[in-house]
Amino acid sequence: MLPVTMTSSPARADLSKLPQTPAQATSAPVLEVRHVEKVYGNRQNVTRALNDISFTVSRGEFVGIMGASGSGKSTLLNCVSTIDAVTSGQVLIDGTDVTRMKSGKLARFRREQLGFIFQDSNLLDTLTARENIALPLTISHVPAREVLRRVDEMAQRLGIREILEKYPYQMSGGQQQRVAAARALVTDPALIMADEPTGALDSKNARLLLESFETMNERLRATVLMVTHDSFAASYTHRVLFIRDGKIFTELRRGGSTRQAFFERIMEVVAMMGGEGSDAL
Amino acid sequence: MLCKIAFGNVRRAGKDYLVYLLTLTLAVTVFYAFNTISVQVDIAGVSAQNSGVGELLGSVISGLTVFLALVMGFLMVYANNFIMKRRKKEFGLYQVLGMGRGQVSAIMALETLFVSGAALVLGLLLGLALSQLMVFFTASLFKTQIADFHFFFSLGAFVTTVGCLVAIFLVTLIFNLRVVGRARIIDLMSASRQNETVKTRNPWISAAVFLVGLAAIIVAYVRLLHDGLPYDGQPEAMSAFLVTTLIVVAGTILFFFGLSGFLLKALQSARGLYWRGLNMVTMRQLAAKVNTVSFSMAVIAMILFLAITSVTTGMSLADTMNNTVERGTPVDYTRCLVYWGSRSVGEMNDNAAYYGNDTRYAVADGPVDMMEAGKNDVMEPGTPDAQPFDLASIAGEWVQVDTFDSTPRGADRPVVTLPELCDAVDMPLPAGTETSDMTTLGLAVMTESNYNEYLRFHGMEPIDLGESGYTITSDMGATVNDVYNKVLAEGVELTIGGRTLKPVQDRVPEDASTFQNAMMGMNSGTIVLPDDLVTALDLPPYYSYLMVNYANGVSTEEGDTYVEAYRTYGDVVNDAGESIAGWGTEATRTYTYESTDTMNGLISYLAIYIGFVLVVACAAILTIQQLSGVADAGANYRILAELGTSTKEISHSVLAQQTVFFLFPLLMGVAHSIVALSVIIELVALFGGLTIEGTVGITGLIFVVGYGGYFFVTYLMSKGMVRDFVRVRASE
Repeated sequence: MLPVTMTSSPARADLSKLPQTPAQATSAPVLEVRHVEKVYGNRQNVTRALNDISFTVSRGEFVGIMGASGSGKSTLLNCVSTIDAVTSGQVLIDGTDVTRMKSGKLARFRREQLGFIFQDSNLLDTLTARENIALPLTISHVPAREVLRRVDEMAQRLGIREILEKYPYQMSGGQQQRVAAARALVTDPALIMADEPTGALDSKNARLLLESFETMNERLRATVLMVTHDSFAASYTHRVLFIRDGKIFTELRRGGSTRQAFFERIMEVVAMMGGEGSDAL
Repeated sequence: MLCKIAFGNVRRAGKDYLVYLLTLTLAVTVFYAFNTISVQVDIAGVSAQNSGVGELLGSVISGLTVFLALVMGFLMVYANNFIMKRRKKEFGLYQVLGMGRGQVSAIMALETLFVSGAALVLGLLLGLALSQLMVFFTASLFKTQIADFHFFFSLGAFVTTVGCLVAIFLVTLIFNLRVVGRARIIDLMSASRQNETVKTRNPWISAAVFLVGLAAIIVAYVRLLHDGLPYDGQPEAMSAFLVTTLIVVAGTILFFFGLSGFLLKALQSARGLYWRGLNMVTMRQLAAKVNTVSFSMAVIAMILFLAITSVTTGMSLADTMNNTVERGTPVDYTRCLVYWGSRSVGEMNDNAAYYGNDTRYAVADGPVDMMEAGKNDVMEPGTPDAQPFDLASIAGEWVQVDTFDSTPRGADRPVVTLPELCDAVDMPLPAGTETSDMTTLGLAVMTESNYNEYLRFHGMEPIDLGESGYTITSDMGATVNDVYNKVLAEGVELTIGGRTLKPVQDRVPEDASTFQNAMMGMNSGTIVLPDDLVTALDLPPYYSYLMVNYANGVSTEEGDTYVEAYRTYGDVVNDAGESIAGWGTEATRTYTYESTDTMNGLISYLAIYIGFVLVVACAAILTIQQLSGVADAGANYRILAELGTSTKEISHSVLAQQTVFFLFPLLMGVAHSIVALSVIIELVALFGGLTIEGTVGITGLIFVVGYGGYFFVTYLMSKGMVRDFVRVRASE
């Protein structure tokens, strides 16, 4: 399992005026991970899942995280997403240290600042697409009129308007993932986290979804952090962090290169890591 | 080894098994406790005064237990399916790991055995304790004293209970083995995925179905309130009642099928409410569940209706008898003689001749002097112990009241009837009297002088009818007496035998209208007329009542013992020692009181037993359904938590859903009961006022303890499950 991360821009309120060019990493970091350690187990049997990891993600960046099973990438995503607690170190999102937050505040923070996309789309099977997308807003008690307007707008952008009245079981896997993406984006979160979003999709749907991510990132200025172990998926990002044994092994930047060229560079790193016995890459 | 796995499973799946264990334990407790009734009745001293009660109650209860065991059995299979559904994957895994089906089945069987065994032991212990306590309850129900309290154990109850449990165990086992035996491994392994398909109905259609159901229920209510109950067994009334019943059943089912759709549509139209917090999630969860649950909600509503109605009616009837018994027992001992008419006498003599019997029956010319005729009575006739029975030997004061049939000899219609009186005061016939003797035979008639003898006997002021006065006596309930009271109060003039009569009293003398010891009113209307008019009418005798108070030196106990030794009274009443003129009954005051208490206890006992078990069964089904619903929706709740919903809010949503599922069947059951009871009250009021108030307390208590308890447990367990779901992701 490889986590996928996505970054989104905070200025979602007025999308139409945003520049149509690829987002550039701006100076203020959205996510700052400082010397994070995560230790599982007891005295007899200690597992160090994260070992002094530090990195930053700037506003509007699309960052991928790759690593083998057990490399710690899922743990990292869980710690960043406030689902799991760190043993030591700090995680700052928009300047706020989430490791110090009380659980009551944390739920609210998660609701307002973070968006999630998982391998299985994690839609509520009893709700229609429209209701699923609206959920994060209704939970935050946004007025109904505003909820419906924002859902419509988001559906329009991701090209899923015609399936808004459908239930998850009536949609294809790709459609479900795009609905999940819309749900993650609708609250205009500081950071979108995607955990193997293409893991359960065929190649065509995977491509469609990744293009949606590009749209989110470029047109909606969303900051995305995506965990994946699919090099093809990783090639859509701006930057890939490779994790091994709980540490950052290396980092690749796309820079001005084409997606194809970036894909080949990623494959090289994967092959190199794989040569040392890595399974998932 | 298998044993170890099975035991470990039960411990691990403890939460799932808890509902199963709880319900089964409760079943065992209640079964055992109620089946000890025959023993309890002994200890409570009921059988000392009424020897048949113990066996009667015992046999009725053990019969009922078999029926209720079936209900419980169904429940257990249901509870068990709930557990199995969640564990299919585990059974698949055992097989993937190379275990044979036989071994997996053995694990399953052992698990069921452990839980059943635990329930049996726990339930019996609780039942044993409960049955000791119930003795006091029984004693108070039957109004007896506990002479000798001791710890008891009933082998009969034990055997019945174990038998039922073994049957339930076997049925459950067969179902479980089928699940394991039939399923392919692939299905077992992917079982959890299969559950996730949610079928949805068009909410517009659902809402329409709901409205049709609601309309049907209202139609049925109106029909029932208008037609009343088919107490007289007329075919048209019966078929109308059947139609009403079918309408209400169909209406109830449609109501619950459409309920969630309707609620969904209603809430969706209030946008601000629908798109707010978890409201839409709550509604959609309800809508998704209702497909599988609506039918059982309808069934539960109907069962609750039956339980509420039977408990309330039973308890109120018992109450009514309690209230009327004092007025209904004017003296220590009464005899009542019904005179045969000429047609019956003819038939009986033909029959007697046919069987070569030399008994002779005769039509009485006038009332028989019952004290005099009693001198012909013999105790244990035809045996060597035969000896004369002398009522006069224990009697102190006595009085005889004679009533006459109101149809004169040779005439074809009565001189006065209830429908005529109703017409005169412009009131409808009281419910339940339409086809009764009261209507067709007319009122009974008695003479002024005879009634005055009766009044003087009771130390009351005699009345004076003069030439053309009348009054009416009756000890029936309000619906009938209201008519008589109005007739008297309005001074309705009656023309009888060519004479115009006016009432001399303005209401029925209810304290001076009872002529025999009885649990409820027996005098449905007797008109008192001047002696010369009664003579002139030439009426055949109808009833004679002999009211006796024991002599000063004779205690109630001695008197009762003496008259109870003579038990053949009902068979023969000899007229001058030759032919038999009528058929009689007798009752002591003590006997009437005791039968009232016994009847009271019997009814209350059965009502509580049935009510409690049915309510518990319904509540348990709901609990299991709700818990399995929460389990199915676990993934959804987890997503909600990930989206930043607090556990508290999720719990509130679950509570709202469960409130709908528990409350709506209850409300429907209560609504049905209120309508049905209002009709029943009207009917039962014939025999004396039916007091619902007193029983509402006990009915309410049963519901609060049984139903409310289950609701509470369901919510607590669901909350725990939600917390687990939310946590699962975090620890992954």
